[in-house]
Amino acid sequence: MSEPKEAGTKCAHCGTSIECCEFCDESACQAAACFECVNEALGQAVPQPHTHGG
Amino acid sequence: MYDYATGKLDWLAAGLPSEGSNASRPRAGDVARSDVPTCRMDESLGDVRERVGAAGWNACVVVNEEGVVLGLLRSKELGGDAAVRIEAAMRPGPSTFRPFVAVEEMAEYMIEHDLESAPVTTSDGRLVGLLRRSDAARTALELRQKEGGAG
Repeated sequence: MSEPKEAGTKCAHCGTSIECCEFCDESACQAAACFECVNEALGQAVPQPHTHGG
Repeated sequence: MYDYATGKLDWLAAGLPSEGSNASRPRAGDVARSDVPTCRMDESLGDVRERVGAAGWNACVVVNEEGVVLGLLRSKELGGDAAVRIEAAMRPGPSTFRPFVAVEEMAEYMIEHDLESAPVTTSDGRLVGLLRRSDAARTALELRQKEGGAG
């Protein structure tokens, strides 16, 4: 079983580890944002409730 | 099995009409240039660069036969070895944006991230056009001036 890939940076909005900025695709972006934060900021997605197992 | 039924965001992403106070505000899909050059994965970079330059562009979107975006060539990628195939030269799987995103927000993000252009697609990845930072910034500025003048 392989280890999870080491992330290169963190989302400047929520702190999630990401490989590169989902807005500009640059790993060295100073304002890096994760997929969820980009989509919510641009209105491309609506916040989803957390799912629970039970 | 789950049958996905398209929702409101897919309706907007397809460029279909909407109502409400924000419906008349300029969107990424309105400002994105649909005349952006496109190319296929199996072409050579030299041929594509020549075509793109002749059309007065410095970017090209790589699409498949259905118009789905597969990659992007910005000025940096277009400057590579002429003999290389597009597949090897392109920036694969670029971030894409939906047509209903407000131009002002796109302009703000593009300036903050120093991004010269951004592909706009439908929800299923088909190319709508390429949004250029200069076009987005100009439109946002005009809108701001118009609203400032009206107020």
